[in-house]
Amino acid sequence: MTRIDYVSGLNEMYQSQGFPPYRWSEFDSSPWTPFEKLLDQTCLALLSSAGIFRDDQEPFDPWAVNDLSFRQIPADTLFERLKLHHNYFDHRDALKDLNCVFPVHRLKDLEKTGHIGHLAQTAITLGMGRLYKRTALQQETVPRIVELLKGQGTDAVLLVAA
Amino acid sequence: MALVKAPRSAFINFPLGRQCGRPHDTDLQIRILKDALNILVTATIPGEIIDLPYEWDEPFDWAKYLQDMQEMLEEEGSSVQEWKAK
Repeated sequence: MTRIDYVSGLNEMYQSQGFPPYRWSEFDSSPWTPFEKLLDQTCLALLSSAGIFRDDQEPFDPWAVNDLSFRQIPADTLFERLKLHHNYFDHRDALKDLNCVFPVHRLKDLEKTGHIGHLAQTAITLGMGRLYKRTALQQETVPRIVELLKGQGTDAVLLVAA
Repeated sequence: MALVKAPRSAFINFPLGRQCGRPHDTDLQIRILKDALNILVTATIPGEIIDLPYEWDEPFDWAKYLQDMQEMLEEEGSSVQEWKAK
C-alpha cells in the first residue's frame, strides 16, 4: 500500500480553508540518550494527542487551533468516562475502541505479562492540530509535561501521535 | 516525521486514527505495541524511523481519507470549521 503524503495534502487543504501556510517543524539533529534499562524494568508513560479527556475535565475543542493545554488521565480511568474530541482524523474506530489511539488496556496487559515494568500512573493527553505556536509549546507546555512525568518516575514515554 | 527527527520512531502504514491497530483486535494491538516498544531498547541511530511490518486490509489513500472525514462529520452532524484566528 502506498503511503499517504499527509503533509502535502494537509498543506493544500488547510490553505484552501483560509489557514496561513503551516511551517512544519524541522530539526538538523536528533537528541539521543542511550536507554540502559530493560523493558521489563521500565516505567512507561503514555502520551496521546488524540483529544481525549475525562468527563469531568474541560473538553478539548474538536477543531482546536493553538490549543496548548493538556489533560492528566489516571491510567485506571474507566474508558466509559473518557471522551474524544478531535476532528482532524477519522475517529470512528477509536470511539469503538480507544485502544486504537490510546492503548492503555494493552499497555496494562503488557504490564501484567511482565513485558514492561509498569505503566506510569497518569497518562497525558493533548488536543493539538493546527498549532502555530511552537515556541510556546516547547517552552511552556512541554516542560510542565516533563516535570509531571519525572514526578511519577517515568523512564520512557510512548507518544501515540494522532 | 523524518524532518522532526524524534530520537526513536515507529511508522505503521495504517489509516490515521488506527495507529495501534484495529478496534477490539487485541492480539494485533499487542503485537504492534511490542514491536514499537522494542525500538526503545534496540534503536542505535538517532532519528531513524523503523517501519513496522503490518498491512491494512483494505485500500486507502488521500481521497479515501477526505471521504472518510466527510462521512464522519455527516454522521455526527458536524461540518468543517473555517479558520478563526485566536
